[in-house]
Amino acid sequence: MTLPTDNKILLEAQNVAKWFATQDQRLELFHDLNLKVLEGETLAIVGRSGAGKSTLLSLLAGLDQPSSGDILLQGRSLAKMDDATRAELRAKQISFIFQSFHLLPELSALDNVRLALEIQGNPSAVTEAKHWLNQVGLGQRIDHFPAQLSGGEQQRVAIARAFATRPSLLFADEPTGNLDEDTGQQIIEQLFALNKQENTTLILITHDLDLAARCQRCVSLHAGQLHETQRQAMS
Amino acid sequence: MRGFNLIVLRQLKAQLRTAEWRALLFATWIAIALATLLALLGDRLERGLLRESAAMLGADLVLSSQRPINPARIDDALQRGFQIAQVAQFPSMVSVGDEMMLVSVRAVTSPYPLRGEIRTEPPLPQDQPFSGEVWVEARILEQLSLQVGDQVTLGYSEFTITAAMLSSPDRGSGLRSFSPQLVMHQEDLEATGILAPGSRAEFRLLLAGEPQEIETLETLWQASLGDEERLFSLRADQPMTGAALGSALSYLKLTALIALLLSALTIFLSLRRFSDGQHQRCALLLSLGLNSTDLVKLYLYQLMIAWLLLSVVGTITGIALEQIILSWLKELLPEALPTPTHWRYLSGPAMGFALLILLGLPPILQLSNISVSSLFRDEIVGSDKRALLIQLTCFALLAATLLAFLGAPLAALTLLMLILVGGALFGWIAQQCLKLLAIPFAKKLLLGRLLIMRLEQQKRWHRLQAGVVILLMTLLSLVWISRSDLLADWYTQIPEDTPNYFVINIQPWQTESLQEFLDQNAIRSELYPMVRGRVSTLNGSSIHAQMNPEQLEHNTLNRELNLSWSDTPPSHNSIVAGRWWDADTSDPEISVEREMAEILGLVPGDLLGFNLGGIEIEARITSLRAVEWTSFQPNFYVIFNAAALKEMPATFITSFRLETERQALASQLVREFPSLTLIDIGQLLTQIGTWLERLGDSSALILGLTMLCGALLMLLTLHQALQQRRYESALLQTLGASAEQTQKLDLLELLLLGAVCGILAVITTELTLMLLYQHLLNLTPKLHVGMWILLPLTSSLFFVISGILMRRRLTLSQCYRLLKSS
Ligand SMILES: Nc1ncnc2c1ncn2[C@@H]1O[C@H](COP(=O)(O)OP(=O)(O)OP(=O)(O)O)[C@@H](O)[C@H]1O
Ligand SMILES: [Mg+2]
Repeated sequence: MTLPTDNKILLEAQNVAKWFATQDQRLELFHDLNLKVLEGETLAIVGRSGAGKSTLLSLLAGLDQPSSGDILLQGRSLAKMDDATRAELRAKQISFIFQSFHLLPELSALDNVRLALEIQGNPSAVTEAKHWLNQVGLGQRIDHFPAQLSGGEQQRVAIARAFATRPSLLFADEPTGNLDEDTGQQIIEQLFALNKQENTTLILITHDLDLAARCQRCVSLHAGQLHETQRQAMS
Repeated sequence: MRGFNLIVLRQLKAQLRTAEWRALLFATWIAIALATLLALLGDRLERGLLRESAAMLGADLVLSSQRPINPARIDDALQRGFQIAQVAQFPSMVSVGDEMMLVSVRAVTSPYPLRGEIRTEPPLPQDQPFSGEVWVEARILEQLSLQVGDQVTLGYSEFTITAAMLSSPDRGSGLRSFSPQLVMHQEDLEATGILAPGSRAEFRLLLAGEPQEIETLETLWQASLGDEERLFSLRADQPMTGAALGSALSYLKLTALIALLLSALTIFLSLRRFSDGQHQRCALLLSLGLNSTDLVKLYLYQLMIAWLLLSVVGTITGIALEQIILSWLKELLPEALPTPTHWRYLSGPAMGFALLILLGLPPILQLSNISVSSLFRDEIVGSDKRALLIQLTCFALLAATLLAFLGAPLAALTLLMLILVGGALFGWIAQQCLKLLAIPFAKKLLLGRLLIMRLEQQKRWHRLQAGVVILLMTLLSLVWISRSDLLADWYTQIPEDTPNYFVINIQPWQTESLQEFLDQNAIRSELYPMVRGRVSTLNGSSIHAQMNPEQLEHNTLNRELNLSWSDTPPSHNSIVAGRWWDADTSDPEISVEREMAEILGLVPGDLLGFNLGGIEIEARITSLRAVEWTSFQPNFYVIFNAAALKEMPATFITSFRLETERQALASQLVREFPSLTLIDIGQLLTQIGTWLERLGDSSALILGLTMLCGALLMLLTLHQALQQRRYESALLQTLGASAEQTQKLDLLELLLLGAVCGILAVITTELTLMLLYQHLLNLTPKLHVGMWILLPLTSSLFFVISGILMRRRLTLSQCYRLLKSS
């Protein structure tokens, strides 16, 4: 496999700055930040706690607005979209995987996945939800509720939910942060396997350098700037 | 969207298990039920008693008098072209064989009534009974086991009952409107021999005509009203009947209002707590692509489903409550109440809608503004100040609407402010007391210092909780204790040999034979003559001009008095000043009741002038008497010497006691002297007692609901407080405290809070009772020892037991998980 240099740019941050105005001072997280993410690429963002990784992720996903600069998804400015369009974007193109899973406790594993599909307007939600739960190895446990599942299993349901809507862009913020090492490893395997199979663009935040190393590209956020730490060919 | 229905229903079902939703549903249920109850009851009673006063009056204008209507009035009315009717209403005994009953008789001319109609069963074409016939209310038929067509005796005459009255206007004023009623034609009145000069009766002149002219006449007559006369009109703010029920109704309304406000507060708090717990969920749904409009819809649907279900259940509950209260008040109400206006049934649901949507929308709108990125941070998003402000505004708006609904907004507002200020004050005092109480514990107990810290931390919660608890407990014990004290006082005040029968309307020519009858049957009693008159002058000039405004308020200056004469002082009075006259004094002398003399500043030697139906008479005060008004003996403010009044037309009055086994003598008396009116006081007292009890029960029912609302509110906030304490306990436990110790800390805090609330409530109750008793009820204040033990005990137990039930003990692994997830 070659480096997908010929691929199109999916997501682009142009001169992005972000600051928060606290009571008396201004907390600037980054300025003049530029980033290009290609279609199908896997990108890891690393950095110290408090560096602003999660904030950057929110900006890239259009959940938050940059203080200046612009973020383009497939050439369209996220800032200029209205709320409804951005919501539709989340329903159809963007998925998230969170550190603490965030499943709805009153819905079974199947219904949690199904919910995402139905919000998307998918007519065969149940079949597809079952399919994706099978894919993550939970085919036997579709009727179980989050409280009856282990942390790893819950995260797998979340992964099934994220892929079920067949997003073109997947964001994961420390997906293994709440799991022990072995379970985390299994989750990573699952995530990368599906990602490869679906050819999804994956942007992932992690503290785990091994995990970062598995991505095609890794950038480090430090002092408000992104530094390319490795560029590796996985041939 | 199908996914939508999935979450609406699942989410609702899951949330029904949470404390805040249960509190929300319960409070809304009560609010809808109460609003329905109030709307229906208020509507029916108001329309039944107050609004339809035209039909109630039976005329456009009614002149009522204690004496036969002045013929000049009748001439005046006829000359002006008004339609008139005359009514004499008086208490009398109807009897059938040995059975008899005190009723209120209306002798009417035809046509009658001038407005509205008497509804009868069977329906009859004529407006009023023909001569020789009477119409009676169902209560009379029931009590005497009679049927339409039967004969009854009234005075010296026999009548045929030709109809049962279902409803009738012109029931008269005051208590007589509550008595069972009988209507007869005025032609038959004389033959009964009941109504002789001086008899107790209300005479009414009913008038109907053009509104304009009625108004003119009203103003004209109002200016020239005699002391014994009163005018009732549609315009007058004081309808003849229903004043008592009206105030009972406003009392019910007020209690219900407090309950409604408590429910609103509960709904307000549970909605806030609910929405605060929804932030993550909303962020997640937004992250899955739900847009914010759909999110708002989702939560609105959820509230709407709850509202729909509760509307049905709440309305049914409200109707049931209304039926219960109406059945309790049945005897106090006119025979048939109008059916409620249909839209009134919507009041409960409308109230529920306003509560849920007005209070629920601001936090829901706030939810739709949640940022998905909060999911990356796992932070607990603080609630938005603006939404709280909007919600508070809505709450205030609601409270204002409720006040307006009460009819007397200003009084209600004052009361409400009092309650709020009182609650805040109590909360503050309780919190200070808690602080003081905790100090000794701090020295002895391992967790004492923590207790002090916690009391500081939980200041606001303690204030809210204590404020509500103390107010509610005080209210409840006030109602409870004053009621039982009043009843106890009532019973202890009646001595063993108190007369239980009054005989009135005894004509002079009957006194001898009546005395003979009483003597024969060994009934001890004295006959007292009675002449009506007014106090007019003091020492030669008008008494009214010599009195200050306070004195002018006194009973004796504002109505006709019953005057008596005698040459021996009544055996149950004692002379406190001056001396009783000799039997042969010929100059008019009087003995005056002590209190009247004190208030009006009369002393022996003063010359008091009286107007006895046109005849002026002056008499010198020669003695003052102490009178026990509650003795059930005939008592008089003023007694003349016999020589002064002997020639005046008088009726006689007496009272006596008949033991239960000799009650048959009463019916024998009525048979032998049909024109007398025998009043069975025992029966009357029981009847009044029942009415009071029923009214009390009705208000207790609503008060109970208020308590329920209060308890609910307390449980909700207690649950919330305990939930917060779980984190603290978890932290303490991981730091080495045992589960027992953390539990002790929680329970100690609750125990102290409960005890402080209880004690403060007792103190407030006692102080209020003391004021009430001394200044309003004239009872001797006393300490209620039982309450001093009961209230602190129950409130401590309430707090501790609910604490034990709601608090779950944490195992170490649970602690770890709790802390990790926080
Ligand atoms: N809404 C906000 N207002 C003010 N400051 C904020 C806000 N959001 C984030 N910050 C601050 O910005 C900084 C970066 O936060 P961010 O969550 O992006 O860091 P991070 O790199 O993801 O850290 P970690 O690795 O611990 O998750 C932090 O100091 C945080 O306190
Ligand atoms: Mg982060």
